[in-house]
Amino acid sequence: MTVESRAPGTAATQPSATQRRIVTFLLDHLVWFILAIVLISFSLAIEHFFQIGIFVNILRQATFVGILAVGLSLVLISGHMDLSIESVMAFAAMITASLVASGGKTFGVDIYPWLTLPIALAAGAAIGYGNGFLVAKLQISAFIVTLAAFIGVRGIGLVMTGGRSVYGLPPDLRWVANTSLGGIPLMVLILVMVYLAFHFILKRTTFGRHIYLIGGSVTATFRAGINVNHMLIWVFVLSGALAGLAGWLLAIRSNGATPNLGFGMLFEAFAAVVIGGVSLKGGAGRLSGVFAGVLLLSSIDTAINVMGLPPQYMQVIRGLLVLVAVLLDSLKIAIYRRYL
Amino acid sequence: MPAANQQEIELPDSATTAPLLRIESVSKRFGTVIALDDVGFEVHAGEVVALLGDNGAGKSTLIKIISGSFRPDSGKIFFDGQEVRFTSPAAAKALGIETVYQDLSLCMNVDVVANFFMGRERHTKFLGLKILREAEMQTETEQAMRDIGINIPSVRTNVEHLSGGQRQAIELCRFVHWGGRLVLLDEPFAALGVEQTRRGLALVQRVKEQGIAVIVITHNMLHAFQVADRVVVLRHGRVTGVRDASATNPEEVVSMITGEWTRQASEQEPGSGQQIQGEARPPP
Repeated sequence: MTVESRAPGTAATQPSATQRRIVTFLLDHLVWFILAIVLISFSLAIEHFFQIGIFVNILRQATFVGILAVGLSLVLISGHMDLSIESVMAFAAMITASLVASGGKTFGVDIYPWLTLPIALAAGAAIGYGNGFLVAKLQISAFIVTLAAFIGVRGIGLVMTGGRSVYGLPPDLRWVANTSLGGIPLMVLILVMVYLAFHFILKRTTFGRHIYLIGGSVTATFRAGINVNHMLIWVFVLSGALAGLAGWLLAIRSNGATPNLGFGMLFEAFAAVVIGGVSLKGGAGRLSGVFAGVLLLSSIDTAINVMGLPPQYMQVIRGLLVLVAVLLDSLKIAIYRRYL
Repeated sequence: MPAANQQEIELPDSATTAPLLRIESVSKRFGTVIALDDVGFEVHAGEVVALLGDNGAGKSTLIKIISGSFRPDSGKIFFDGQEVRFTSPAAAKALGIETVYQDLSLCMNVDVVANFFMGRERHTKFLGLKILREAEMQTETEQAMRDIGINIPSVRTNVEHLSGGQRQAIELCRFVHWGGRLVLLDEPFAALGVEQTRRGLALVQRVKEQGIAVIVITHNMLHAFQVADRVVVLRHGRVTGVRDASATNPEEVVSMITGEWTRQASEQEPGSGQQIQGEARPPP
């Protein structure tokens, strides 16, 4: 890494490369510092909060919204929007449960339990492909396309099961929910793996680079010879497949699926992503921030539970947090303009 | 095609060799607006052609057709003797046509290196993933910037934090570095200062000496005459004049741009006036 690229004649009043890097680092990882402060305050203020079990629970709670937030981040960074993820997740959970559950309104088939994973992923990817096709090729607003999917896909799930629940998954699959490795639940490990994998893809591969470029300027990217439509379709497919994965895990965790499974997770995912610093305008954000955003929301939920406060408070606090996150973002830009 | 370039250098009289780019009666309309009407001209390797015309004359549309962003409604484009139909900028780029647009083609949200290598990222394939070779790209970007004398604090700075002049300099650096066989410049010096413009013009000269053909759009007559070998004038979507730069002067070109010339010429120089008048549209 060279630092020698600085122009020799740069004015002395400008911050040095090192200073610039430190400030940029602090600003980029602001949400992690907030998370640390929040966790320390909770540990000091709330009795019984500071235990391994509580922290593991924070992570475990974060699994589903966390995985949805990864797909949502990809779509937002590319400059679009995916409102369908919650319904896709519920749909994938419903399919998973209907295929292998022992009770309720199942499909009445008998398949190898692990086959449900590729089926759930494929179902999510297929819906994602539909979204991507309509957005990229037919140039319909992603907001409208995915809003339609959000409403419609949840409906398909309801039609499929007649609005009834499915329950009782085979022990093979329940194993995923009940296993821990070194005290850390397998589900949490899967969550962390998803984040690491997609962080790598976004930051270290041409695919990830092109997602940021498209979010920055579609015109410039198109002129540079990048196949924007192809890229966008892939982004929506990934978002759908990740929602499918979240649904598969959710069905296993809940030992079945109910018609209103995961209701409201879309907005939680949105809140986490915005708190994590992903810009709704596209082109900006990182998954490390999103992970912190997810953990922050989950920590607050857990704290409210531990304190025994009525859960209605969660809503209010989440709303305020989103607002604070957006204000922080403006503040960050102001600091950047002024000092860097 | 190094052989062709070699030949070009030995025979500076470009008229004797086959043109690199030939445009034949290209037309393009947007709804009821006729942007280009039966436009044709040629560009040879190692030649700088200045494309001049008033606002709305169709210069940018023509550039976008050659660069593959737009498809013409009718007419033919020959590149290197072959007829080509570009379906995307990627297709034009593959043949070595590099474009610098009037509205910059930069992504503000990423750094200089990412912009410099946009669409051409150096990568290593691993398990089906194309992994970026960042260090290599950074070194190459720094080298390219240094070569043409652009001062940027760090090539890892996001472009949004750079000045307008620095942004345009990055664009210019891109074409010098990647310019394959034909470079299209649409108002490349619009946001540049005096010193940077001087450098920009020198870059055009340098690219030309490498045997690359250049089409440059500019409003600045001074710039046009400084770099161009030939001048092509567009007016209301039609070619109203093609001149060797040495055989004309700014006054004549201005009069061709404004349309004064055809009226004057028909009185003063009946021969050439008639020829041009045949192409010009009747006065509105």
